[in-house]
Amino acid sequence: MPDTPKRYWLSVVERDTPEEVSRSLENGDPEFAPTRRSFLKAAGFTFGALAASSCRAPDVDAIPYVQQPDGLVPGRPLFYATTCGACEARCGLLVTTRDGRPIKIEGNPDHPFSGGSACAVGQASILGLYDSLRLQYPTKAGQRVAWADADKEILATLDRMKQEGRAVRVLTSTVTSPTTAAVIADFLSGFANGRHVSYDPISSAAILEAHAQTHGARLLPQYHFDQADVIVSFDADFLGAWISPLQHARGYASRRRASETSPTKSYHVQIESRLSLTGSNADRRLRVAPGEVGHVATHLAAKIAQRAGASFAAAGLTPSSFDAAIEAIAERLWNARTRGLVVSGSQDVQIQTVCNFINQTIGAYGVTVDLSRPSFQRSGSDTQLAELRAELARGEVGALIIAGVNPVFDLPDAATLSNDIKRVPLVVSTAERADETASLAHFVCPDHHYLEAWSDAEPVSGLVSLAQPTIRPMHETRAFIETLAAWAGKPQPALELIRAHWTMAVHPRAEGGLPFTVFWDRTLERGVAEVGPRPGAGAAPSFNAAAATPVLQPGGTSADGLTLVLYSKIGMLDGRHGHNAWLHEMPDPVTKVTWDNYASLSPETARRLGVEDGDVVRVTADGSSALELAAFVQPGQHDSVVSIALGYGRAGTDRFGRVGPPWFEARPRLEPVGVNAAVWITSTENARQYAGRAVTVTSAGRRRPLASTQVHHSLEPPGSTERRPIIQEVTLAELTAPPAAAPAEAEHPAGHVEGDLWPDDHPLEGHRWGMSIDLNSCTGCSACIVACQAENNVPVVGQDEVRRNREMHWLRIDRYYSGTDDELEVAHQPMLCQHCEHAPCETVCPVLATTHSEEGLNEQAYNRCVGTRYCANNCPYKVRRFNWFDYPHEDRLQNLVFNPNVVVRSRGVMEKCSFCVQRIQENKIEAKRLGQPLADGAIKTACEQTCPAQAIVFGDLHDPNSRVTALAASRRAYRVLEELNTQPSVRYLKLVRHERPAAAAGGEGRNG
Amino acid sequence: MSKPITAIVLAAALAVSLVTLVAAIRLPGSNQGYEPVQPIAYSHKLHAGDLQIQCMYCHSAADKSRHAGIPAMNVCMNCHSGVTASMTAVRQEEEAAKKENRAAQTIESAELRKLYDALALDETLFPISDKTATPIAWKRIHNLPDFVYFDHRAHITASVTCQTCHGPIETMERVRQYERLSMGWCVNCHRDANENGIAGKQVKAPLDCVTCHY
Repeated sequence: MPDTPKRYWLSVVERDTPEEVSRSLENGDPEFAPTRRSFLKAAGFTFGALAASSCRAPDVDAIPYVQQPDGLVPGRPLFYATTCGACEARCGLLVTTRDGRPIKIEGNPDHPFSGGSACAVGQASILGLYDSLRLQYPTKAGQRVAWADADKEILATLDRMKQEGRAVRVLTSTVTSPTTAAVIADFLSGFANGRHVSYDPISSAAILEAHAQTHGARLLPQYHFDQADVIVSFDADFLGAWISPLQHARGYASRRRASETSPTKSYHVQIESRLSLTGSNADRRLRVAPGEVGHVATHLAAKIAQRAGASFAAAGLTPSSFDAAIEAIAERLWNARTRGLVVSGSQDVQIQTVCNFINQTIGAYGVTVDLSRPSFQRSGSDTQLAELRAELARGEVGALIIAGVNPVFDLPDAATLSNDIKRVPLVVSTAERADETASLAHFVCPDHHYLEAWSDAEPVSGLVSLAQPTIRPMHETRAFIETLAAWAGKPQPALELIRAHWTMAVHPRAEGGLPFTVFWDRTLERGVAEVGPRPGAGAAPSFNAAAATPVLQPGGTSADGLTLVLYSKIGMLDGRHGHNAWLHEMPDPVTKVTWDNYASLSPETARRLGVEDGDVVRVTADGSSALELAAFVQPGQHDSVVSIALGYGRAGTDRFGRVGPPWFEARPRLEPVGVNAAVWITSTENARQYAGRAVTVTSAGRRRPLASTQVHHSLEPPGSTERRPIIQEVTLAELTAPPAAAPAEAEHPAGHVEGDLWPDDHPLEGHRWGMSIDLNSCTGCSACIVACQAENNVPVVGQDEVRRNREMHWLRIDRYYSGTDDELEVAHQPMLCQHCEHAPCETVCPVLATTHSEEGLNEQAYNRCVGTRYCANNCPYKVRRFNWFDYPHEDRLQNLVFNPNVVVRSRGVMEKCSFCVQRIQENKIEAKRLGQPLADGAIKTACEQTCPAQAIVFGDLHDPNSRVTALAASRRAYRVLEELNTQPSVRYLKLVRHERPAAAAGGEGRNG
Repeated sequence: MSKPITAIVLAAALAVSLVTLVAAIRLPGSNQGYEPVQPIAYSHKLHAGDLQIQCMYCHSAADKSRHAGIPAMNVCMNCHSGVTASMTAVRQEEEAAKKENRAAQTIESAELRKLYDALALDETLFPISDKTATPIAWKRIHNLPDFVYFDHRAHITASVTCQTCHGPIETMERVRQYERLSMGWCVNCHRDANENGIAGKQVKAPLDCVTCHY
């Protein structure tokens, strides 16, 4: 019985009392129940609006170009290769523009990081371009000023500072752009006391400091997850928000695919205190207290050293309660040797040195850990930052130029910092909006959005890429490098600065001897070029084993036993995208909460404190102010941990109170989204610490219901304890077992229906569209959700509407838990319209608005729909979405991001996934025009196109040679709720587990 | 007042309001006969009919894109940088000049002057330095509702003539919407094409909703 005995559940409440969940979903929150009076008000309003509307077709102007640009065909998109500016990972992008405005971001297929994929944040960053709250011109003390006047005054003050010999500081985040680094250096060379200080809002400084100690070079290695057979991660959320998530996810996924022909899969161990997205994908997960991480790592190091015969000074190491598990992990890691990889997201330099020791001992350096081509994606120094803060406190800084960071928001003790900044004679910020820091600056000289600007990047040594504008700057902004060059007395356009730097420093590193202009043009077209390593970075450093400092005993916890863990979320990162509605509405991949941060507690701890999901708790750390957040019960988290996401509570995010319909029962939240947890960051000598602080948590006696989608749209029968085999899995052994031992086709659950619903009078010839989704590859990263939203003009509904179960995403990722808190297993399942052959929605539509196409699509004609919602009620997959209201963009400028190939739906109609039919039509017509057959893979749905794990495959099931046909024949293929005989066109490929967990092997009593 | 008069007045009022209502309601897509005055009195009869310029000389995207495209003004200037008035007007001027024994002057038609003004060109067709060109805002005639996606490219590929949907455009001095362009009209043509083919070729004209609605 390989498939059915395991029970999966969506939340703790759903596991223990499923009837409770279905009741709350049926009736809604009692607070939200409409009264007779409010119903009449709404009805009156509706009829009034109907009467007032007219239906006369207006005269429309058709305005052609004066001079049509070369190569532009009206109605056809143009694509630009550029570099992502959404985080410091700097992946390659391909930006789709229509009529001169960017409308969609996809990954650049030629870029080694992205290979065509883009993460959720990168794709959503296009919305920031059309944010009308971006600063539109330079300001002085909040008032508009001309660029020339601002330059003149700033130059005069800088001159005075130079003569007085006062300190001039440029404060940035990690600078991955070689030209920017050169321009900053050139600017500062004019000052006797000028220095560039960079820090990362989410710091990884401990890795760099540890390599300085063990390898004699302050470097961040490049991690090659595509080379790793065994991955041991200590609290590193490398698939989520850690350093270079897209690069990691693609590499990781390439080793996770297991098929009948190649039944191998990397083995991933996650040792962590909270449940991260990465942990949810692990084959083995150890739930440890934050203080124990170093101790476990030391035990692992000792066991590896013992096997390698290396000396490891770990005398006095106290025994660990995880000894058996560590032994098994050490054995696997030692067997993999150079194909092993140990990473740690810890900010404890000691732990990082231990990890370096393990990687060195197994020989991972040079294979999975690359120091010869190191990463420049995190190079900030927390030591330098501390020095700058001390200088500011002493009042020594004469001029402070802040670019790309928001220290008053990012750093703890913001009140002191802002007071210190206020005392600096000249503070200039280049922030894109009047944020927490920029509002203190004398001048704000706004930088372009990255889609408007020329730029370059070298995220890892030897990989250089160009960023080109995809639109003319929308406002009077100016590139940071142009600004700085102007203040250095050498004003030049950004393009010239970059070309000059590339002529001098990048082109000589290129191989092949191309002339510069050819090299430049090719790089610009392709977006990226591979050149020799950056000189001076990435020598072969020697290893100093003595520098690895073991952690001999686990760290303690407070008397209350609760330790704070701050982390960054996949959508929000450090908060720089706090004004992006798509990212706020994207459910967190693990908790499924939208529009908020919260204090996650383990089920046991929540029970002990007597709090439930949505109860407001007061979190107090000794010596700093208390914050109040909603609690969230998180299975798989360590009992001693309170985890809170950083990056929330940005000033100005109360604007999102306007998101959602202004109706009579609206309860908009008129305060910033979430609270800023950066107040609890602490600092040690050379690294800022995000974990380990002792806190107390008390109930505040209030409630603030979280907008969590985790029990919305459940596929389980309402109120029933019956469990359906929605998630199915096999083990590696079963994958290769002879077919007889595999589950027979006939083995269907009770109630299975068979037979054909329709008489055979509609022979289906031609194409037959289908999809395959590999549950084994899917990491739950949610890039597909944003891709779908951007492609299909899916609206944002806001927190209030999400609470009412009205989110509009056509594609959601259902996250299922199984097992106990200690042995938690997680499955991610993208769920979208299944385009059933026997679609239950089609038979109940009274107006034939949803019908079946000749090519097997379940089509929805919006203009025909009258909104009975029968179809959504009858859909067993709960993938249909109803427009309860018009959901316009909160910012009307963002209408420019709409995809002109897809209709914007109006109030009162049903919508759902169309398999990106606009892309199907486009490619079919284009193939016909060119007289070519439609190639397999020519049509890519938006979700498939962007999936970093390449888990989604779309194609023609009638084509015997298509990939989707081959996958449909796989032994792993199954269809969700097959027993209902809906005959979906989407096939899922079963999860492949290394082995069955001991707890589940015997079949638990809870099941069924 | 007697009852019959009240009844007649009421009936007349009802009739008037019904007629007004019917006249006022013009659903999107049923604009048959719509013939707005254009900013320049461009004649399709002259260009496409008499001079037999190919449709796709100006509407050059019709076989490559969903939109046929309204020509940019640089396309007009391909000819009208040389041709500044009708042949008749030019001949008249030439004859008059011969009679009066003087050099013929450049004749500029009033309609083409609107084009040159929009392009900010002076009498000698040189750019006026302190003026910028502004595009001409034509009135759009064939305007399907936003929930319909019509693709010119697919129809040209299938050898559907322009006149099938746009009518005898080469005879129209001012363009009007010739056909109804309603869904029933489209679907009938698709059915007919499936049965009888187009220009002797067998075609597959899909009848799915998602052919046009997505």
